[in-house]
Amino acid sequence: MAVDTMIVLPGDEVPQDALPTPTGKKKQLTLGPGLRHIPPSTVASTIVGALVTDDKKVAAWIESNSGRYLPTAGDLVIATVQTSTAEAFNCTLTPHTPYATLPHLAFEGATKKTRPQLAPNSLVYARVVTATKDFAPELTCVDPSTGKSEGLGPIKGGMVFKISLGMARRMLAGSKGGVVLLEALGEKLGFEIAVGRNGAVVVDGGKVKSTLAIGKAIQEVDEQALGEKAQKKLAERVLKSV
Amino acid sequence: MPQEAQISVNERAFIQDALKEQLRLDGRAFDAFRPLELTFGDEYGVADVQLGKTRVIARISVDVTTPLPERKFDGVFQIITEFSPMASPAFEVGRPTNAEVVLSRILEKAIRRSNALDTESLCIIAGLKCFALRADVHVIDHDGGLIDASCIAVMAALQHFRRPDVLVEGEKATVLSIRERDPIPLSILHQPLCVTFSYFEEGELFLVDSNLAEEQVRDGEVIITMNRHGEVCQIAKYGGAPVEPYALFNLTSLALQKVKEMSKFIQERLDEDAKRRNAGGLLAELSAENDRPFDRPVG
Amino acid sequence: MPLDTSTYSLALLRLDGRRWNELRNIHAQISTQAAADGSSYLEMGNTKVLCTVTGPAEGRQSGQRGGKDNEAKVEVEIGFAGFSGLERRKRKNDKRTSEMQHTLETAYSSLLLTHLYPHSTITLNIHILSQDGSLLAACINAATLALIDAGIPMTDYLVACTAASSATSAESDNSDPLLDLNNLEEQELSFLTVGTLGRSDRVSVLIMETRVRMERVEGMLAVGIDGCKRMREILDRVVKEYGQRFS
Repeated sequence: MAVDTMIVLPGDEVPQDALPTPTGKKKQLTLGPGLRHIPPSTVASTIVGALVTDDKKVAAWIESNSGRYLPTAGDLVIATVQTSTAEAFNCTLTPHTPYATLPHLAFEGATKKTRPQLAPNSLVYARVVTATKDFAPELTCVDPSTGKSEGLGPIKGGMVFKISLGMARRMLAGSKGGVVLLEALGEKLGFEIAVGRNGAVVVDGGKVKSTLAIGKAIQEVDEQALGEKAQKKLAERVLKSV
Repeated sequence: MPQEAQISVNERAFIQDALKEQLRLDGRAFDAFRPLELTFGDEYGVADVQLGKTRVIARISVDVTTPLPERKFDGVFQIITEFSPMASPAFEVGRPTNAEVVLSRILEKAIRRSNALDTESLCIIAGLKCFALRADVHVIDHDGGLIDASCIAVMAALQHFRRPDVLVEGEKATVLSIRERDPIPLSILHQPLCVTFSYFEEGELFLVDSNLAEEQVRDGEVIITMNRHGEVCQIAKYGGAPVEPYALFNLTSLALQKVKEMSKFIQERLDEDAKRRNAGGLLAELSAENDRPFDRPVG
Repeated sequence: MPLDTSTYSLALLRLDGRRWNELRNIHAQISTQAAADGSSYLEMGNTKVLCTVTGPAEGRQSGQRGGKDNEAKVEVEIGFAGFSGLERRKRKNDKRTSEMQHTLETAYSSLLLTHLYPHSTITLNIHILSQDGSLLAACINAATLALIDAGIPMTDYLVACTAASSATSAESDNSDPLLDLNNLEEQELSFLTVGTLGRSDRVSVLIMETRVRMERVEGMLAVGIDGCKRMREILDRVVKEYGQRFS
């Protein structure tokens, strides 16, 4: 991540010196989401956000906080089961959008006879397998290479808290995301958390009070864009209240 | 029929568990409203109510028409509600949901049928000319508690509104513009306000002003409309789980307390607005000095 | 108040000769329509209502067949006969009717054991043949009878009744509540419609549309609930009489 972030607006031309220069084997510059190449050599942004470059991969993209989640292959999401068909569950990732399909057999150890029975409106932590413009996105709860769930599957208990998509991305990015709140809370409190790229976190702190406190703290970090120092302070306050 | 997205089973169970522990998700007391914000527009008769994340705008407009033949001495008063898709993706234009029907019926019963507005005062010449007052309610953002917020918006807008004065000479009536004659406030007979109670746990637990998530989990609702004089204008409990009758009496007294608080709040805001409009008082109005922008040359 | 309060206080009789706590003549039948899965005909004084039940059956629309969460959906359709009121008026689906439909739908969807019939719809068709007050109450009572006739399981009966307060002002003492109003009384007095689960006092439906002092509500509600109890006895008898034919 570049040290000095550059904010671009739609239509802004990105100066050459802000982009990584192709060196060595990789001769081509890769443009990620939000950037557009205008031949011969102009690079312009199409969305508002911070320009992020990766010199090793010779890539550049725009980090932004968009409104609605659009499924992308490989994303971890929290899906809501709506209906069940003969072979798959129809799930929604965001309300009022077409269904994403989650095959009955895409659970750990599921066979035709032992497939899970999920009631409408139950939650599933899943990974997006395919997301193309021609088909409904497909979800899975197993790692295809190992056949293990790797933490995915139906979510029991807990409470859903809505967060922004940017926050979800930061939380999943680990140390790069700059969210230290959970670690600070985890020193004293035991809780389970599932972060979905579709802007939802499920928190289960065992007790109602701690679940609420953790969820609220995450939302506060998101809404007020707290830095690391403020997050630690917030964590202390939350720990005191629980 | 368009439907609200349903809440997940996990959230439903959590909200109920929290209520059992006397906790609401937003940390409010069971009988507390969300922070209420009321602002008035530059024009008369525009009220913008924010109740937590719910936002409703009401606007009063007036027109001159012929009164209905069966009501020669009354003006016309209509309340029109509209759920735009702006408020929630669950709303569609032209296809009223049950919630919309209920809202418009409650406002109709609470404000129009209870004679909150003296429609006779809108009559100009009996049988020939009268004012037609129209209150448009626009739901801008929906996070539950629409009925309460809309009722506040309409009542505040009605109290804020000023209609133009008329000059009647025999059969001829002239509507005087605001510049010619100071506009006249409407004659409001009483101020009905709605309090919606949502109940849980088979009617053991009552919440005031529930948000959208709580509304989806509740067993039922009781909407009570009262004015601050202790008159019940309307009660509506459309089915839902049955409750003990004595619980309903408790609700009316709680509603009265809430209505008194809200009436006071609306009055405060109206006074503030009046003060703002009449900044210098009579002295400023009579002053010969004009606030011409001397320092800015024309052109 | 044009309702002759002076006569009332003298003879303690209402315009139609009833005492304050008297129900009107109630006549009811069940299984009146051969084509429906359940049906009933109810007269409360001059209010006459016909109700048929269809279902539980697969809903007509192909998309959404049942209600939420794998439960049956309750649909109510209320129609007014052209000759039902004093004036022949074409009543389109106005908001008052849709409110009544909504009331019945929500009341019955929590009363019936809808979870037994996933992906299905229970349709209630109510036809109003004659209107003379207590319309919503008559609709509820007729619907209950028709649902019993259709054999749809429910936790309890829902019966309804109207009650009014005859007091003109807050101070006056002769504030007899009145039971089961006709059209004239409904227009003059503030009244409420209450629907209870007959045996217990628990209130399922409560609609009040006119302004009244809050102290009066208690009395009105108490009389209404009492009326519901008697209404239940009457409906009970109707069902039992019908059952006797088969014994």
